[in-house]
Amino acid sequence: MDEMMRQFSRLVTLALALACAGCAELGDSLPTKSLWSKEVDSNLVYALGSRDSFESPLSQRLKPACPALKFKSREFAVTKDHRTVLTSLATGWEQSKCRLLIAGYAPPTLPEDYARSLSERRAQAVRQALIELGIEAVDIQTVGFGSDFGPSGPNQDVVVIFREGGQGTSPREEEAGEGSDEDPNLITVGRFRQ
Amino acid sequence: MLGSKELPDVPAIHVNGFTGGTGESVTRFVREEVLASNEFLLASQVDQAAFRLEGSSVGGRVVGKLLDAEGKTLFSRTYAAPGIRENVLALVDDVIFAATGKPGLALSRIVFVSDVDGTKQVYLCGPNGGEVQKVTSQKHGAVSPSLSRDVSMVAYTTYRSGYPVVEVMDLHSGWKRTVTDTPGSSFGASFAPDEPRLAVVMSFLGNPEVFVTDLNSNTAGCLSDTVGVPSSPVWHPDGKQIMFSCDEGGGSELFVVELPEGEDGSSKLFRWRSGQRFSTDPSWSPSGDKVAFTAVSSRGSSSVIVKPYPEGRSKVVASGGAQHPSWSPNGRFLVYAKRGDLVVYDLRSHQSKTILTDYGTISEPRWMK
Repeated sequence: MDEMMRQFSRLVTLALALACAGCAELGDSLPTKSLWSKEVDSNLVYALGSRDSFESPLSQRLKPACPALKFKSREFAVTKDHRTVLTSLATGWEQSKCRLLIAGYAPPTLPEDYARSLSERRAQAVRQALIELGIEAVDIQTVGFGSDFGPSGPNQDVVVIFREGGQGTSPREEEAGEGSDEDPNLITVGRFRQ
Repeated sequence: MLGSKELPDVPAIHVNGFTGGTGESVTRFVREEVLASNEFLLASQVDQAAFRLEGSSVGGRVVGKLLDAEGKTLFSRTYAAPGIRENVLALVDDVIFAATGKPGLALSRIVFVSDVDGTKQVYLCGPNGGEVQKVTSQKHGAVSPSLSRDVSMVAYTTYRSGYPVVEVMDLHSGWKRTVTDTPGSSFGASFAPDEPRLAVVMSFLGNPEVFVTDLNSNTAGCLSDTVGVPSSPVWHPDGKQIMFSCDEGGGSELFVVELPEGEDGSSKLFRWRSGQRFSTDPSWSPSGDKVAFTAVSSRGSSSVIVKPYPEGRSKVVASGGAQHPSWSPNGRFLVYAKRGDLVVYDLRSHQSKTILTDYGTISEPRWMK
């Protein structure tokens, strides 16, 4: 946070996407201009690009690209164990070049808004690690579901990396009785917490 | 609310019988609302009262007149909304404002999240937990609500696209507008006191950051530069400062941003010492001299704390899972969620009352008017 204080004077302006505005335009426009005449820091190389055509696990059944990454309570740094899994994923990615959606989750014991930010922060940390391992930034999106939705496994302090591709059924259809052909060791689709 | 007999130093008011065809009903409603406000004792004799309220009502229209003990008229107004109850609530709010200088709560609203229908949705209720109204019916739910000061608009995070996006709804017309359809996540919207601006957390830059968006010009300024977990921005009542929480690995702390005035102004960011190891969900009192927030202990139990701003001794208002406090518009009550219930705490009598229970799991309340 000290760094945050030192650099706080950096202020960025951007055109916000409204209902009909495309995210691509927004992503391309950042960072372009400072609101209060301060230069924008040049380290924002990992800003998210367009989310167009990325399916959400809430509306489409997506398959995980690797086992879920478990985090200790309130932590968001990528660990050595995480890197082992991510390295394997990045190695295989060279063949498939598939797009990935990184979804963060947090347990319902945390304050709701904090949980949303923590889950997004975890997803962003994983995204950064994957980019460093060679996966192209444009092929990765993140989302933080906080404790608003829970993964199907017992651990809610996780990040799940979904493989985009549009296959499968929706979570609602699956709940209605259709079976799953996935590895039972994988945490699968985010579902709404009742 | 709580019984007025528990409250010290409140003035007495005498409510004369209202004349006219609907005068009897109005008299009864007024007396009920005056008592429920906790701002007055009801005096049976005029000479025992510091204030006197009288008037008439025909066809639901209400004419009210407030006088002080010397018989001087403080105001005389006509209330002509379609509903008799609505007119009485507006009259009582005016009486409270004229007598105390602080807004009445009769027309105030509490916005909250409940999963009573299976998905998390945004709801409104009155200050006593009544008149519950469902605001959103989103396929995947809506969370993190905030009311504009005049209770005409509500901002919330919707998952309708499968991703968290901030939307604003006009509560009169039902008109909705997407504010932040940006990649990543957006949440924690908070209306500025007077201007059409929102403080909100967005993550499209590659990390969650606190932004202020201008709803007229559709532009935003980034206020933070963190590698941590920022959340829960909230405005000071003067509209010139924003407090938010941020965890950079050592526990969530509270920070204050003083917004720049004009394009060439400079900004200040500083840590506000809450005195707690983990603090989040701050809420500034209407006068700006106190902050209520959620503290989480090392065992994971949450409490609601009130601390004078900028400094002073903190006080535990509620523990055992209490969280997400929000001040009443007059600064005399706090609403918070506790174990799925909606609870109001009276800062004068130090008593709490559950105002809404068995309504699914209630969370994230905010009180406004």
